[in-house]
Amino acid sequence: MTDNYYVCPGCALLCDDIEVETEDNKITKMYTACMKGVARMKGCSSPLECTVEQEAADVDASIEKAAAILKDAKNPLIFGHGNSSSEAQKVAIEIAKRTGAYIDDTSSFCQGPIIEAILQEKLKTCTLDDVRDKADVTVFWGADPANSHPRHLSRYSYFPRGKERQRGWEEDRTLITVDIRKSDTSEIAGNSGFFQIPIKGDAEFMNALVDGLSSKVPKTSFNFDKKKILELSNTLKKAKFGVIGVGLGLLYSLEELEPLFALMDKLNSVSNFHIIPMVGQYNMRGFNHNLFEETGYINRVKFDIESGQAKHGAEYSVVEALKERSVDAALVIGSDPLSSLPLPVARYLADIPLIDIDPCQNLTATKANVTIPCALGGVESGGTAVRMDGVEIELKQIVETDKLSDKEVLTRIMEAL
Amino acid sequence: MASVMEIYQLLPKTNCKECGKTTCMAFAVDLLARKFSADDCPPLVNEEKYKENYDKLSGMFTPVAGVSETGLIVHTEKCTGCGNCVVACPVDVAADPQGAGSGRAPTTDKVIFKVVDGVVTANNVQECRRFGENIILCVACIDTCPTKAIEFV
Amino acid sequence: MGFGQFLAAPELKLTIVTYRDIFQNSALEVSRFDEKYEELSAIIKLDPNDISKLVIKDGETVTVKSGAEKVVVKAQISGYEEKHEGVAYMVNSPWSNALISDNTHGTGVPSFKNFEVVVQSAKGEKVTGIKEIF
Repeated sequence: MTDNYYVCPGCALLCDDIEVETEDNKITKMYTACMKGVARMKGCSSPLECTVEQEAADVDASIEKAAAILKDAKNPLIFGHGNSSSEAQKVAIEIAKRTGAYIDDTSSFCQGPIIEAILQEKLKTCTLDDVRDKADVTVFWGADPANSHPRHLSRYSYFPRGKERQRGWEEDRTLITVDIRKSDTSEIAGNSGFFQIPIKGDAEFMNALVDGLSSKVPKTSFNFDKKKILELSNTLKKAKFGVIGVGLGLLYSLEELEPLFALMDKLNSVSNFHIIPMVGQYNMRGFNHNLFEETGYINRVKFDIESGQAKHGAEYSVVEALKERSVDAALVIGSDPLSSLPLPVARYLADIPLIDIDPCQNLTATKANVTIPCALGGVESGGTAVRMDGVEIELKQIVETDKLSDKEVLTRIMEAL
Repeated sequence: MASVMEIYQLLPKTNCKECGKTTCMAFAVDLLARKFSADDCPPLVNEEKYKENYDKLSGMFTPVAGVSETGLIVHTEKCTGCGNCVVACPVDVAADPQGAGSGRAPTTDKVIFKVVDGVVTANNVQECRRFGENIILCVACIDTCPTKAIEFV
Repeated sequence: MGFGQFLAAPELKLTIVTYRDIFQNSALEVSRFDEKYEELSAIIKLDPNDISKLVIKDGETVTVKSGAEKVVVKAQISGYEEKHEGVAYMVNSPWSNALISDNTHGTGVPSFKNFEVVVQSAKGEKVTGIKEIF
C-alpha cells in the first residue's frame, strides 16, 4: 500500500486504493475507482449555496438560523448521516440529545435489521478481507453489486486471488445470485448460478433450502425445480467459507428475519456461512455503530430532553414520525429525503422548518429554510467511516476547500445552541 | 462486424494459394481473426477487377478508433469501471499477482487493463493471449463484464 | 382526425419493482437537476406484451398512477429474456418514490420495491420534471 492511495466515499466498499491527480483543488484524473466513485469524488456540477429562507446568506447567519429552528422546535428530527464522517455523526447525536430530537438514518428503511442482528451477534459475519482470502461460495441475495457496489466482485468476492484462493475464480470460487430478475450480477453468475424466484418468494425459497440442506424434499408453492434447489443446497453444504451478501431485494421481501436466521443456523450446522449487509452509503454502518455505542440502538431513537434517555421503536423511525406529524422541524445532513422518501411523507417534511447540510444542491435544499454547504467527505475533508463489513477506515483529505467540514458545521450549530 | 461468408464473397474465390492458405475460405477465417490483412492476398491487391472488393475489405479492417491489434474494443459508454476484467485477465494476474491479480490497484505498468476515470483502458495488448503466433481465444475479460463493454472483432 | 383519438387509452394495472442502475446513480452524483439524470430516471421498463396492451411504442410517455399521485415517464421495452407481463421495473428515483404509499403498517419501512400502479399512454405529454414531482 503506497502513501498516495486515497479512500473512495462512493459507496460502503470504501475502496482504499484510489490514485488521483489534482489541479486547483479539484480532482482531475482518477485511477482504479469505478464510474460511481469517480462521479462522487470529482464532485457535483451544482454545489449547495448557503441560504436562509432561500436567499443567499453567510455561514454565520445560516448557522444562527439553524440553531434557532432547532431551539424553537419541540420535537425536531435529525436525519441523514449516511454520507457523514463518524466524527460528524457523534456531534449529530449530541445535538439530538441536547434538543430532545428524533434521530434516524436511512438504515431505518434499508439495512438496519441486518446490522442490528450482526451487532447483537444473531448473525455470523466476517470481513471483506476474509471474503477475498477464503470465500469459495458467495451468494448475492436480492443484491446487484454490479450496479450498487461495482468493485465488490473484482476486489473481494469473486475474481481476486486470495490467501486460500490462489487458483482463480473459474476453479476456486462459485458465484450464486438469487433474485426476481436477471440482474447484471446474475449475468456474470451465469445460468447455473442464477436462481430466479417470484416476487415475495424469498422466505419460501429460504425454507426450501433449509429442507434441501436437511435432506428433505424442498417444496415451494411456486414449484421451483426441486433438483435445482437440491443442487444449490449441495453447493452451499460443500462450501468451506460461504458468504451471503444481503441486498434490499431480500430485506424488503421478508416480513421478519426469522427465515434468514433459520437458513443461517442450518447452514452453519452443516457448513460455514457469513452475512455481509450490502450497505449503500459510505458511512451508514458507522452511524449505526456510533448510535449503538451511545444508546444501545442502531437507529430510530428519540431522546428525552430532560433525562437524555433514549427511546427506541418503529414509532421513532423517520417514516412513522413524519407520517404521524410528530416532528415539527428537521435537520438533514448528507442525505436527500425529499428524493428518497415516499412522496406523502416527503411533502410533510417540506412543509416544516427544514435545515439541509450537504456539499451539493438537492431536492431537500429546494424546500429548506436554511441550507449550509459542507466539504465533500473523503475529498475536501477527512474523517473516519465504517465499511459495510464493520471495518473502520480512515479517509484522508485530498484537496483544500474554504467550506467547513460536516463535523465543523454541526459543532458550530451545537455551540450556537 | 462482417461474417466469414461476407468476407469470403469479396475474395477472388479461386483458391490460388498465393497467400499460403489452401483455400480462400481459410484466408477469410484468418482475415476475420486479424491474422491476415487484405494486403496478404496478391490477386486482390494486383488485379484491377478486384479493386472494389479490395477497398471494401481494407475498409472493414482498418484499425478503427479504439481497436487494438488484437481487435479488442472497449465500449467506453457501457463500461462501469468495475475492474472485473482487470482482475480476471490472466496476463494481469501473472504480471501483478499482488496488485491487479488480488483485486487491488495495479502496481505495475505491465498489466493490460487499468481503470482510468471510471472506464477501463487497454494497454500492452501485445501481451494479450489473442495476440501473435500461438493465440489462445481467451475470453476472461468478455465473460466477466457485467455490461458487455468489451468485444473482440 | 383518426377514430382512435376518441377511444380512451387502455389502462393497465402493474406491479412495480424498483432496482439500482449505476449509470443513473452516477448521473445523480453529478447533478440531480441535469437532463441526464431525468433521462435515466424517469423511465418504466415493460414487457413487450404490456407495451402492446397499452397501444404504445417503445420510447413513448406513459402516465403512472398510484393512489392520488401520478408521474409521466418514458416507457421502454425491458429487454429481459424472461417474460414478465404484469410486472414493470422502475429505477429507484424521486419518480418511483412519488408512487410509493406511506402506508407501512407501522413498520417504518415503506414498500419501496413492490407496489401497484395503473399505467396509461400519455402520448405527446412530456416527462414530469424533477421539480414538478412535488
